[in-house]
Amino acid sequence: MLNKKNYIAVLVMALVLILSISVMAETRVVEHAMGKTEIEGTPQRVVTLYQGASDAAHALDIPLVGIVESWVEKPVYKYLRDDLSDVKQVGLETQPNLEEISKLNPDLIIASKMRHEDIYNLLSQIAPTVMEENVFRYRETVKLMGKAAGREEKAAEVLNNWDQRAADFREKIEAKMGEKWPIEVAVLNFRADHARIYYSGYAGRILNELGFERPEDHKKDTWGVKLTSKESIPEMNAEAFFIFMSDDQAVENTYQEWTEHPLWQNLDAVQNEQVFRVDQVAWNMAGGIESAHIMLDQLYEHFELEE
Amino acid sequence: MTYILRNQKAKMNMLLFLTFLLITAAVFSLAVGQHFVSLTSVYRAIFSFDQQSTRHLIIRSTRLSRTVIALAAGGSLAVAGALMQALTGNPLAAPGIFGLNSGAVFLLVIAATFFGVTSMELSIWLAFFGSMLAGLLVYFIASLGRSGLSSLKMILAGAAVTALFHSFTQGLLVINQESLESVLFWLSGSTAGRDLGMIMPLLPFILGAIILALILAKDINILLIGEEMAAGLGQKTIIIKLLLGLSIVILAGSSVAAAGAISFIGLVVPHISRFFVGNNYHWLIIYSFIIGAVLLLIADIAARIIIMPQEVPIGVMTAFMGAPFFVYIVRRGFKVNA
Amino acid sequence: MLKNLKISRELILIFGLILLAGLIFILSLSFGSSYISPVTVISHFLGLEAGSYNFTINILRLPRTLMAFLVGAALSVSGLILQANIKNPLASPDIIGITGGASAGAITYLSFFSADYGIGGLPFAAILGAAVVSALIYFLAWQKGVSSIRLVLIGIGIAAAVDALVTMIIVFSPISTTVQSYVWLTGSIYGTNWEDLFQFLPWVIIFIPLAFAFYKSLNLLALGDKVAAALGLNIQLNRFLLMTISVALAGSAVAYAGGVAFIGLIAPHIARKMGGKSYSILIIYSVLSGGMIFMAADLLARTAFLPLDLPAGVFVSGIGAPFFIYLLYRNRNQF
Repeated sequence: MLNKKNYIAVLVMALVLILSISVMAETRVVEHAMGKTEIEGTPQRVVTLYQGASDAAHALDIPLVGIVESWVEKPVYKYLRDDLSDVKQVGLETQPNLEEISKLNPDLIIASKMRHEDIYNLLSQIAPTVMEENVFRYRETVKLMGKAAGREEKAAEVLNNWDQRAADFREKIEAKMGEKWPIEVAVLNFRADHARIYYSGYAGRILNELGFERPEDHKKDTWGVKLTSKESIPEMNAEAFFIFMSDDQAVENTYQEWTEHPLWQNLDAVQNEQVFRVDQVAWNMAGGIESAHIMLDQLYEHFELEE
Repeated sequence: MTYILRNQKAKMNMLLFLTFLLITAAVFSLAVGQHFVSLTSVYRAIFSFDQQSTRHLIIRSTRLSRTVIALAAGGSLAVAGALMQALTGNPLAAPGIFGLNSGAVFLLVIAATFFGVTSMELSIWLAFFGSMLAGLLVYFIASLGRSGLSSLKMILAGAAVTALFHSFTQGLLVINQESLESVLFWLSGSTAGRDLGMIMPLLPFILGAIILALILAKDINILLIGEEMAAGLGQKTIIIKLLLGLSIVILAGSSVAAAGAISFIGLVVPHISRFFVGNNYHWLIIYSFIIGAVLLLIADIAARIIIMPQEVPIGVMTAFMGAPFFVYIVRRGFKVNA
Repeated sequence: MLKNLKISRELILIFGLILLAGLIFILSLSFGSSYISPVTVISHFLGLEAGSYNFTINILRLPRTLMAFLVGAALSVSGLILQANIKNPLASPDIIGITGGASAGAITYLSFFSADYGIGGLPFAAILGAAVVSALIYFLAWQKGVSSIRLVLIGIGIAAAVDALVTMIIVFSPISTTVQSYVWLTGSIYGTNWEDLFQFLPWVIIFIPLAFAFYKSLNLLALGDKVAAALGLNIQLNRFLLMTISVALAGSAVAYAGGVAFIGLIAPHIARKMGGKSYSILIIYSVLSGGMIFMAADLLARTAFLPLDLPAGVFVSGIGAPFFIYLLYRNRNQF
């Protein structure tokens, strides 16, 4: 594995090498989870194969010709619908339709190693393909796509914009909470037959960046836990809860059952009245930079802060 | 048939002992979990409930319901297995093996994921209907052909029907991926998913089916001698078999509606019971119910303490406990009229 | 005279089946996101096209269609051998636990190893799983030799336990792999490339002819253990070898196509339905019918709900199951 320094060094070397040779069309070598890919000029027909990449493409104004179906609010998440509903659908994130992609005649494909490793070779034959390691790392997605699509400046601007908002949030919330900051929070999710605590992952990373703490028991390197018994409710304990879940009667029933439980009433967040229901798309399923902003909007609102 | 309890008194004593065991298991099921609760607290939680005590709350709210579910589902599955073994004359018959569980699961998954059905009443009827559908299908497939019903054919037909419903369920969940993660626990059995209030409507059905089975016990014993003999003794075998089928479907369907798909209890328990009391169904039904309840309670206690705070799906526990026993029964050998 | 007539009937059937398989094959290459007329497909192969379909046909559709045929054929022959061995037309690799073993291997790999070692190891994990579980079943069924009944019963029991294991792994695997595991379990040959095909090909090339070489043993075994032994067949040895062939075919097919169910059950039925008492003919029928079913299922899976490309396994069960019940009914006197 290359560390960041080496990564940059290799890239610089590659760039120098290429610049010294090439006189005509600008060709860039982008290093990614599956190796290196050469990309010419500024791609004009891009296909994204995971949710976070479609989101980032939108943020970077990358011209999209194909996207995969969203997990819920099918086929496109509401927050992207206005701009992306005319973009061609190329199938499920788990099995995007290769013929459909090739028919679009793209000049860049953005995919995820975790989902698409086995079709990397086929995708590369359709168009230059770059792969992010996972699907929810919004920063890495933006950086990678900035490089691949020749929009590094825009990517830096987008990330910078995010950093500034995050810094503003940290400042404001610290000022408001004073001594109590940083507070310990937990991200909870209810399903039809169980409940989950998300430790790391998309929302966890963002909350981390915003300066929130996690309870000692939640500081683990796994994605989280699935809890089936209401007896486990005390495991959830934290000073504030963010709860997301799908809009479904069965899930709503589980939520009612768990939150009506006496143990639930004993939790710190419940006693402090710091239980926030948040949007499942922005907090979990979208996994992009724009959805991170939506998360942040909701946080400003919940903590009654002025931006 | 060799069995160890020959006289009435020994059977009665053993029954008392098993009942004692059942009570012990139930008490432990109330006491053991993420928070261990002393036996005196369990006693107080039941008989002098204190709203302020967290321990009492845990016992009353979560453990009581899962204890009742494990007890009811374990007992029902075991009796359903015993009745199926009598009905089919096949020692390997059981609700899980013959696809009854998977049929019920299939219909419930359709209802839950596509039509958002959450009402328990409707779920119960769907579960009954699903297990009946699967049962009839197995019976139909197995009775095809000149040689009529044979044990091996029945088991294979059961496995094929299980595979059929299983792959239907799988197909539905693959197309509707979001809902998949919502029913995984339930697909593999869970006693924690339902509140006490939700399973209450099931209990009259279960009780009714078991009383029906006990009333039929004498006829089952005659049936076991052989159908021709039974007919000679003036038995209306068709009616007996239909009533047996009704009882089986209710018991298997109820257990799925309460706790999802739990395998092997229905297969293994009747054999353990037979080891004690032989093939006398008066005793066998009672023994099966109690032993089934005890085993599922033990499996459930183990399931919740192995990887705290998470839980092993209970169907996985019973499969690991039951599979070696299944292999043992097959290896010991039995009469297969294939 | 009568004998010749029968042979010619069989030849005509085989010829007809090949024709039908060829038709589905061409249709598979024709249909997709963009329709290429069958005539164009044929002229493409004859080199009369300018190569405008090189990518769509040669890279995407051809390896996938060939893979579909081979996987279907392998599962079908595997099922046929099992059914002859167990003397019951309801046996198949997915019912007696071979597929389950492969699934356990594959899901374990997918959940815990693929992130570090790449997806390439998946087929080997699946084949290993199938081999280990089959060996376990065989070992447990052994009591001074393996009887067919014990084999199938223990297989069913172990299959149930392995299913539970798979469920447990899925429940506790990282959430990001859950969906992928499930897609795998359903069975899919999505994204097959030539490399996959060439890895799988040797299994088929070796084991299907090997099965063919054993057709006499199969003929004898189908008469029942006693008769076969009286006719001088070493039952245990032949059973073991045939089981090995069956496991190799099913395990490797599942390794490259996921936990496809029902083909090993249905295709041999269709083969029997066409008549043919000798296993030499039945194997050929099985290869063709199994290959056809899976080709058709995959064709439907990737075209029925465009732009969605769904796992073929969904369609195998969807079409296969009702058909299976119908066949059982039609063939009811063969039991």
